[in-house]
Amino acid sequence: MSTTTPTLQPDTIAAPNFVPASGPPLTVVCLPSLSHEAFATVQANLHQVFPHLPVIIATPDAVPETDGPSNFKVATYTPLAQPRGAWVPTAADYLNAWTVAREHKPTAILLLGNESASVSVETLRLLATGVLDHHDLVLPRYPVGPHDALFNSAILYPLTRSLFSHHVRFPLPIDAALSSRMAERLAAAAQRLTANNQGEALVWPVAEASVAGYSVRDIPGEHRILPTPTTDDFSTLLATIAGSLFTDVESKAAFWQRARLNNPSPRTTPYVTQATPQDANPLDLAPMIESFRNAYTNLRELWSLVLPPNSLLALKKLSVTPAENFRMPDSLWARTIYDFLLAYRLRTINRGHLLGALTPLYLAWVASHLHLIDGDPGAAEQHIEATAAAFEADKPYIVARWRWPDRFNP
Amino acid sequence: MGQQIESALRESLDRVVTMLVSFLPGLLAFLLAVIILTVIGLVLAFLIRKILTAMRFDERLSSRQSPGALGNVSEWSPANSPTLLLSRAVFWICVLAGIAIGLSAFNASFSTTGTVSLFFLPYVTHIVGATLLVIAGSLLARFLARSVLIGAVNAQLQYARFLSMGIKWLVLVLTGAMALEHLGIGGSVVELAFGILFGGIVLTLALAIGLGSRDLVSRSIEKTIEKPTPFSPDLAATPRPDIPQPSPLRHF
Repeated sequence: MSTTTPTLQPDTIAAPNFVPASGPPLTVVCLPSLSHEAFATVQANLHQVFPHLPVIIATPDAVPETDGPSNFKVATYTPLAQPRGAWVPTAADYLNAWTVAREHKPTAILLLGNESASVSVETLRLLATGVLDHHDLVLPRYPVGPHDALFNSAILYPLTRSLFSHHVRFPLPIDAALSSRMAERLAAAAQRLTANNQGEALVWPVAEASVAGYSVRDIPGEHRILPTPTTDDFSTLLATIAGSLFTDVESKAAFWQRARLNNPSPRTTPYVTQATPQDANPLDLAPMIESFRNAYTNLRELWSLVLPPNSLLALKKLSVTPAENFRMPDSLWARTIYDFLLAYRLRTINRGHLLGALTPLYLAWVASHLHLIDGDPGAAEQHIEATAAAFEADKPYIVARWRWPDRFNP
Repeated sequence: MGQQIESALRESLDRVVTMLVSFLPGLLAFLLAVIILTVIGLVLAFLIRKILTAMRFDERLSSRQSPGALGNVSEWSPANSPTLLLSRAVFWICVLAGIAIGLSAFNASFSTTGTVSLFFLPYVTHIVGATLLVIAGSLLARFLARSVLIGAVNAQLQYARFLSMGIKWLVLVLTGAMALEHLGIGGSVVELAFGILFGGIVLTLALAIGLGSRDLVSRSIEKTIEKPTPFSPDLAATPRPDIPQPSPLRHF
């Protein structure tokens, strides 16, 4: 429950000093391991954004000596903690970025994830400009289709928005621009994880920024290749991400329970889900609905340890609803996630089992969502916002039950 | 005749009274040892709980262990509190020590029937061991049953509950057989019964999986065949415009 400002412990690796501390604003760009071609592309894109300002590109790879721009320096660093090929930056990446950057006192730090060669010049420009305009955390909203980023739409975005009051559409970013103090804060959070040999653990920048009172901004990103997770085990991946988010929410409970956060500021620019030609094709939702029905038959007893009778009754009705009318109410979904979050905190059942039991419910939400939107990007966006609004409306429930978990709950 | 009966009865009564007189101090010593050690256990448990709570032991331990991991002590602790687990462990160690000391005192003071305690002490130890086995087995059975149930449901197996129950009873039967063997009850009958039961459950599960998972296996094979390799020529093939391509879902 600690929400105090963490301090980063000194460590052994020190990056060489390339640029004097005073002078024009310096940007440090941290890259993952890239091929030479991809590195050259990123460097060329960055040069269009920063034709004159000094930039340090930090990479874990040995880069051959080439005639790069004079205002660019390439620094090869030895990672403090080895990232394990996650598709989004992990604790090890945030720690490595700050370790490289802190020697130079940069104004902005760009942390680019896998496939960063596909990040457009305009996105890079907006990311850098955001931090140079004195925002602490700038995250891109990459265009996705109505059938993409479903887990983000179902849990990550609504939960982050309701609890931390930030309309950041993708709270688990692939790329991010950080101010110096934001990078330090994230590195401190990351260091707690890497110290426990959890370098591959996820870090939640929006929650950290929210607790620290730092300004957050999301910018419209142009199309980029979105990295995919390395594992094929869907349930494990879901449990890993949801577990990480729930743990983070638990550790920041003292913060998000404050009443003043109950009314988040509205987003300034609306997000538009992008349509792709394939989205118009019919989807086979039957396996997902069948999976939920099978789960209801077998996991009902387990769910009854977590969910209140009202939710169980609603799930029972849903399990016998014909596929053509399959629709999970937003309020039921929000309540379900809050009850799972509470059970996670109280350890009502083994946490691994709890998150495993969430998978069929999530698939039910996905089936309901896809059935409702029917491939229409506008409808998708509308439903995602409605889901997030349901989470916000039900926030008093989680706050009350978090404080008094044993109170009667019908 | 009457005198002989009276004499026999008196001698018998004397023997019983003598035995009771020599038995009572041992019994009192046993009770005293158990009570004193129990009180000591309560005090130690209380102190440990206070100290560990002051040190925020649970929170520190929780922050160092990944959630859901098998090695996570909190998952196995009563009320998910390692502090409570430690304090209760100390309490019960003291109680068991009290029982052991009491039995030893009982044995020393009741020398005429020393064989009773000589038989009783190891048997109590066996009972404690068997009880621990049963508790551990029950916990393991429940944990494995839930793990299998959730895994099977997420793999979309229709017979998930059956599989889970099978695993649960497999572990419970194994635990029961181990406990009975530990107590020395039943001998070869238990071994035989265990063999038959265990083999029966395994055979049933094997048949159920073999017959019931045909769909799963075929799905898995289809998935392997359809999965394109990085150098697969299928990647270069242009999709036919007249055939609607299935829209892929991207969860993450």
